Amino acid sequence: MPVRAYLDLPSKLALVFLLWVCAFTLSWTFQVSLCLLLVIARFAIPAFRPLSPRSATAFSKFIVYSISVALLVVCLNALFIKTGGTIATVLGFSFYEDGLLFGLKTASRLILLSFSVLMFFISTPLPVLIGYLQEKGLPPSLVLVLLLTLHFLDQLPRRIHQIFLAQQARGAPVDAGVISRTKALLSILSPLVLASIVESIERGTALELRGFLSRPAADRIPAQIGKQDNLLGICFYFLSLAILLYSIYRWLIA
Amino acid sequence: MAHRLIIENLSLQYSSSEPKALSSLSVDVPAGSCCAIIGPTGAGKSTLLHCLAGTMHRQHPESVASGRLQLGETRFEGLPDHILFPVAALVLQDPYVQISGVRDTVFEEILFTLENLGAAPQNPRKIIMPLLQRLGIDHLANRKPTSLSGGETQRVALAAILVAQPSILLLDEPTSALDSNAQDKLRAILRSLRGTTTVMMSDTQIDFALAIADQILLLDHGTIVFAGSPSALLSRAREYSSIIPVESWLATQSFLTSLQTSSGHQKLISKALGLQ
Repeated sequence: MPVRAYLDLPSKLALVFLLWVCAFTLSWTFQVSLCLLLVIARFAIPAFRPLSPRSATAFSKFIVYSISVALLVVCLNALFIKTGGTIATVLGFSFYEDGLLFGLKTASRLILLSFSVLMFFISTPLPVLIGYLQEKGLPPSLVLVLLLTLHFLDQLPRRIHQIFLAQQARGAPVDAGVISRTKALLSILSPLVLASIVESIERGTALELRGFLSRPAADRIPAQIGKQDNLLGICFYFLSLAILLYSIYRWLIA
Repeated sequence: MAHRLIIENLSLQYSSSEPKALSSLSVDVPAGSCCAIIGPTGAGKSTLLHCLAGTMHRQHPESVASGRLQLGETRFEGLPDHILFPVAALVLQDPYVQISGVRDTVFEEILFTLENLGAAPQNPRKIIMPLLQRLGIDHLANRKPTSLSGGETQRVALAAILVAQPSILLLDEPTSALDSNAQDKLRAILRSLRGTTTVMMSDTQIDFALAIADQILLLDHGTIVFAGSPSALLSRAREYSSIIPVESWLATQSFLTSLQTSSGHQKLISKALGLQ
């Protein structure tokens, strides 16, 4: 059986749940290791490969952005939480041990949470996800909200790109540097978000006009879930439970 | 089975403080016929179609309506408070928003409508493929719906509605994304529906509307300023030149060409153009 089959949708959801449990219970070193494993999995495991070159690019960009944000979070915490010993002094600014540790914990947690969710969405076809949620009996209105939200997030970068192109065509200096790009982005932000919301509403109406909300439960498409998927998913849930119980035990005896 | 559509004295305000978007509209569309709504932007064409599809209360809960609607044997005081699909089915103006994004191929996208209705047949190909052939998009059956051109997407959106066999088909500017070839195909499709489906469509392309409609409604500021046959509108075209660009559409060669197969209009066009 191909590797992808062992990590189908229910197992992947269970894995995301496990990673979220790890993000709140385990040490930052373990969390950083898990993040690295996720990045390796993105290349090595077919089930985690991005569905399109666009989602692959989005994931790579997200890695760069999240590392930048993580570094910022670590530096700011190390700078402003002035307890513990001084680790280093750079240009007259002192960095402290407790702040550094807190920053590392926060940053690694945020990265693990976001990596696991992003990995799930870039490697899971939307039709499969929606079919699965419908089969599981999620109310159609909730499925519709999720569908529109994902579509909104998917379309936003494309719209930003289109508007930048249009501005460039009119001679606006959007490529002049980070400040120009930021200023250009700020000026288009509200019309951009509004236009995307309007489009989402129209899309919702169009789906309603095709009877999406009145879909009978008995006719929802069954997701293709094998026994192996169930087994792996159950393993992930047991592991999550074990980690949670261990964390509670550690907290009680501390 | 086609339904007769009756609108009696229908008025609508988006909220009680706003002016009327539709004002005392009364129309009787016989079962199986085609009624085209024309008029300038903001005349109320799309609003009327949304009222008939039952989306107005969802989109504008604060809207205030009066009058009566009758679709077949079902009567509504004011507007329906629910979407009337599949009795009345609306195809929106923007074809791209009508693609669900939850199916991988055009075939599955059409099947999605039947699944929503709980009416997916044992062998869906028997129903869907002939429909796609009729619309001239059978070669797209295995394509990704989001990778199509505007015209192709428009026809897929139409197929996704037609597969539900609505009694009343509502089309909001169906030609907006179509080139002239695709318009010809759409015209043929709408003609083929005559007798089996009641069609009500809005369009800014007056030549297209005139070529297929049995009845024309000319709307301006939410009021019907003309209701009658295409021939009657053509004979009085110059009266409405302040509302619609009569001179330009009468002069277009495409208009003459499109009507070559329609009987009865040729003389009137020639007369309106001063050729006789």
